[in-house]
Amino acid sequence: MNEIFGMFQGLINGFGIALTLNNLTFALIGALLGTVVGILPGLGPAATISLLLPLSFKIGDPITSIIMMAGIFYGAMYGGSTTSILVNIPGEAASVVTCIDGYQMALKGRAGPALGIAAIGSFIAGTLGVIGLTFVAPPLAEFALKFGPPEYFSLTILGLLMATLLGGSSILKGLVMIVLGLLLGSVGLDPISGAIRFTWGFFLLQEGVDFVTLAMGLFGVGEILYNLEKEMKTELVTRKISHLWPTLKDWAESKWAIVRGSFIGFFVGILPGGGAVISSLISYAVEKKVSKHPEEFGKGAIQGVAGPESANNSAASASFIPLLTLGIPGNAAIAMIFAALLIQGVQPGPFLIAERADVFWGVVASMYIGNAMLLILNLPMVGMWVQLLSVPYAILAPIIVLFCCIGVYSVRNTVFDVWIMGIFGVFGYLLRKLDFEPGPMILAFVLGPILERSLRQALLISAGSPLIFFKRPISGTLMGFLILFILFQIIMVIRKRKAGKKSESY
Amino acid sequence: MAVWGSTRLSMGRFKHPGPGFLPFGLGLCLIILSLILIFKNLGGKSSPIPFWPRRSWLRPLLGLLSLAFFAIFINYLGFILTTFIFLIIWMGLIERLRWKTVLFISLGATAGLYLLFVFFLEIPLPTGFLKW
Repeated sequence: MNEIFGMFQGLINGFGIALTLNNLTFALIGALLGTVVGILPGLGPAATISLLLPLSFKIGDPITSIIMMAGIFYGAMYGGSTTSILVNIPGEAASVVTCIDGYQMALKGRAGPALGIAAIGSFIAGTLGVIGLTFVAPPLAEFALKFGPPEYFSLTILGLLMATLLGGSSILKGLVMIVLGLLLGSVGLDPISGAIRFTWGFFLLQEGVDFVTLAMGLFGVGEILYNLEKEMKTELVTRKISHLWPTLKDWAESKWAIVRGSFIGFFVGILPGGGAVISSLISYAVEKKVSKHPEEFGKGAIQGVAGPESANNSAASASFIPLLTLGIPGNAAIAMIFAALLIQGVQPGPFLIAERADVFWGVVASMYIGNAMLLILNLPMVGMWVQLLSVPYAILAPIIVLFCCIGVYSVRNTVFDVWIMGIFGVFGYLLRKLDFEPGPMILAFVLGPILERSLRQALLISAGSPLIFFKRPISGTLMGFLILFILFQIIMVIRKRKAGKKSESY
Repeated sequence: MAVWGSTRLSMGRFKHPGPGFLPFGLGLCLIILSLILIFKNLGGKSSPIPFWPRRSWLRPLLGLLSLAFFAIFINYLGFILTTFIFLIIWMGLIERLRWKTVLFISLGATAGLYLLFVFFLEIPLPTGFLKW
């Protein structure tokens, strides 16, 4: 009872922090920026937050800048649906499935209800997600206090593997990305002995590869170079949007989709390696399964918009849980926020809620407010945002690149970093070209130092015996999950092979 | 396509005394993974799609060159001039917008960026020979 009382107390204090004029302004700026990058294809929340990392000191204290960055992250989930529905291009990755039915609805002249239900679903799910965050995070952080190095090692390994398994195209390519990310993370001074590694004689590399430089190169410049290749054409179905408010029939059809989407999103969001993109895919599949008219999916079923759009929002809120309680980011955008906290001198982890209660509750409270702001921004004002789509990428792209250059330059005031960013940009471009996901790489880069430190500390504790990861109860359980996952994957691969051979022999 | 990528990636494998424990293991992992990738692709048919169809490498390359231009000249020409020329190059050469539009937007964007970074955020940016 006492604990629940403590949570409400914390939340009230949090609202006190979030409702100051300064923090409200930055929550609004975050929500606005998030909506904009969500709408604009070719610029995702991860890239945008990376653009703002060098500025995070200028923005203000940790609370204010995290409030703003969080706003960008969940704001993008709102905006992404708009482009999916009207242009049939996902505004950002988590809205890919919204294209399927959303665009069909727009073609049938029902763009209004599609946009409306996406915004309302996002709001309900986002708020449910934050409520979940409010009540799940504190006990989880308390539990995580028991974690020692072996537990952290098991958890990071599990998270990284889940990120590859859930992350997309090829598991093998995902693994390559993770190993590369970990290697990049080990550039610079060794965290325990202070030995210099992989600097190739560059003095400036001694502090390691800077996260800002890497993130901007991979996500900012890399993405733009990749998009330069394609002609970006945005053709709107319609400019005039009417009947935003869904009819009673729409509402009846989609209310359970929203609820299901919220729960799916929440649980997928908590998982290490989970996130908004996967949750929307799962939600779409579930909606198609439970629907009485699965044949309508792909032809403009409103559940196909409501479910995934809800799922990605509640996943966005839920993915703050592993970050704020364990200090382990689950996806690329959250990894950026992790870096922002570190830049501001706040260590995310189980001690965060106790030691920096103001940061935790301030950010959580701001998320309630931000979701309400976004509902207003997205419902009545959606027509205005649509005009944004007519800003040609030709003008946007060079300005984004300039932003990257200046941002990277300003971190240490050297042009050297701009060059490094350019190299990572080429690398990011080639990765996209070759169908590698850069997301797991940035995760591995962030988690690398945690992984290495915990591994070596654990081995010191156990005097070199790797059995320590299996003997301790929590770590053992996590490792058990890990082994189960790997076995499951192997079985799946073998089954696929068999199925493939059978179909060949027929 | 992936063959090309993985041969490029398989250059990993570094050794270091003492603190190189994890990097060494990772390098090994990388080699194994790359070999599997190469092997898988050798087994399959190589994809008939060319890596860069129809000179599509040109635009990213030009984009990269203008980035290099920015990095080389910012210390000499200063922030304002370099930004302005960068924008003109990008929009004029790569995107081939009309020159009037290019000039107009470049001017506006340079002014905007200057206001944002130098005026509001007070980031010390190189001024170059013009001293502003």
